[in-house]
Amino acid sequence: MGRIIEEIYVWRLPVRLYHWINALCMLVLFGTGMFIAAPLLSPPLGEAVWYKGMAWWRYLHFVFAFVFIANFLFRMYWALFGNDKYGRFGGFRPWSPSWWGTPFREQVESYLFLRSDEPNYVGHNPVAALAHFVFIFCGSTFMIFSGLAMYGENNPGGFSDLWFGWMIPLFGGSYTLHFTHHLGSWMLPIYVIMHLYAVVRHDVVDRTSVTSSIITGYKHKVEEEPM
Amino acid sequence: MQSNQTFADVFKARGVSRRDFLKFCSLTSVYLGLSPSMVPNIVQAMENKPRTPVIWLHGLECTCCSESFIRSSHPSIEDLLFNMISLDYDDLLSAAAGTQLEDQRHRIMKEYKGKYILAVEGNVSTKDDGVYCMVGGDSFLNTLKETAADAAAIIAWGSCASFGCVQNAHPNPSGAAPVSDIIKDKPIVKVPGCPPISEVMTGVITHFHTFGTLPDLDRLGRPKAFYNTRIHDKCYRRAFFDAGMFVPSFDDEATRKGWCLYKMGCKGPTTYNSCSKIQWNGGTSFPIGSGHPCIGCSEPNFWDRGPFYQRLAEVPFLGTDSNADKIGILAVGAAAAGAAAHAAVTAVKKAKEEKHDNKDNA
Repeated sequence: MGRIIEEIYVWRLPVRLYHWINALCMLVLFGTGMFIAAPLLSPPLGEAVWYKGMAWWRYLHFVFAFVFIANFLFRMYWALFGNDKYGRFGGFRPWSPSWWGTPFREQVESYLFLRSDEPNYVGHNPVAALAHFVFIFCGSTFMIFSGLAMYGENNPGGFSDLWFGWMIPLFGGSYTLHFTHHLGSWMLPIYVIMHLYAVVRHDVVDRTSVTSSIITGYKHKVEEEPM
Repeated sequence: MQSNQTFADVFKARGVSRRDFLKFCSLTSVYLGLSPSMVPNIVQAMENKPRTPVIWLHGLECTCCSESFIRSSHPSIEDLLFNMISLDYDDLLSAAAGTQLEDQRHRIMKEYKGKYILAVEGNVSTKDDGVYCMVGGDSFLNTLKETAADAAAIIAWGSCASFGCVQNAHPNPSGAAPVSDIIKDKPIVKVPGCPPISEVMTGVITHFHTFGTLPDLDRLGRPKAFYNTRIHDKCYRRAFFDAGMFVPSFDDEATRKGWCLYKMGCKGPTTYNSCSKIQWNGGTSFPIGSGHPCIGCSEPNFWDRGPFYQRLAEVPFLGTDSNADKIGILAVGAAAAGAAAHAAVTAVKKAKEEKHDNKDNA
């Protein structure tokens, strides 16, 4: 095995905390959301007053949703003002043709086995950055906005309704918004599969200890194997 | 001249006591969701304002709105129809027919230019110059445009006129379009429902008559007084929803016990209407009260959000009927298969490279 020649502190504590809180929230939100859509458990016969079969799941969904939102806002703050080399938006410039040029194309070619060398990035590579933008940034934003719009339906004229209620006519009614929110939740398992696969594969191919880096914060550079 | 009578004159002429007249005004204020301090305003308007002329057009529709309308119990339909609003043109209820009736419409349009309410029941066929809905020898498309031009405001009765209803459900063969797609320059009140509740219909008219303005509308153009909250929010079965006690099928104990119909496809949680508050036929019952899930008939495109007895709508996807979960599972499967295939190629490639490297070293 190649020797470790460099330790790089990539993911600072706020980024790691965000990652794990986000992961936990999304798992709970997916689970509770699916239960709310199709409640499988039912209480024994009796008076409704003794049970909270649905209310409890909805309560969990809302609590974790607000933690998820706070966590997301914190990450946005960190990305913009955190002065964190690897945790900021800086390198991600999808509006610029040059970004789609060499770095992005190289990485795509590498993923498609069209080139033998792996471009090396300490932080996110351009394809990963795009995936995070689509799934985590756009996906979370949509789920938060649509979720708050539906949350506001409980209290017409309230904060949530005033600020996010416009989502309902935009999607052609409350039902369609619920449906789209439900469909959107499937982004999570799709993303998790791609995310875990990419992480494990990079760890095996590049041996940069990317998997443990989200716990320890450190990535490693290893010596080219002399064989 | 009868068309200039006030509501109070009409009541008096029909021998209704002042006490009953005030009762009617109070009831109306309750239906409009107004505070008791507004009752004098209603009384004042009813006593002093001449009746508002109404032209009621029928397009592509099933007349269920009119059927509902004539079942209004507060106020009762006899008073409402013959005495309270001045219903000057309605090809369903008018005694006259043919040229005489059409002349009447033109007379009202001229005499009350900019003052009459145009009530529209049904929607507009737009395909092939509107040939799929001909009324009085002209297409409904033309009639609507002509009559709307000088109206003070438009009331779109029912889901047809408001959103389109069954006529513009997929694939919409006649190009049916709601009134708001055709008329853009007039204030439109949407009173959706298939049909709307009769007291909601009369309440909207009374509001316009009383204040001379349209009621407060929500984002979809519906009067807030009646469409501000969901069926779900005021449903008497809501306690069973929160408790997680759901009816699993129509013929079991839970059904008889009156549990929540959420799993039977009830659209109450996504439907804005007053059914669970005002109820139907003078407060007799409403669909959920009779053990049937809400089908969401006052929501846009509710016909395309079916089946009625499932929570999750079926949508066309890759040429078949599917739902959000099926699409999601398919996409997850595709992602997993893609990852597995990619992993396999990576492994093969790596093995080859190592073999190659070993050969080079040898």
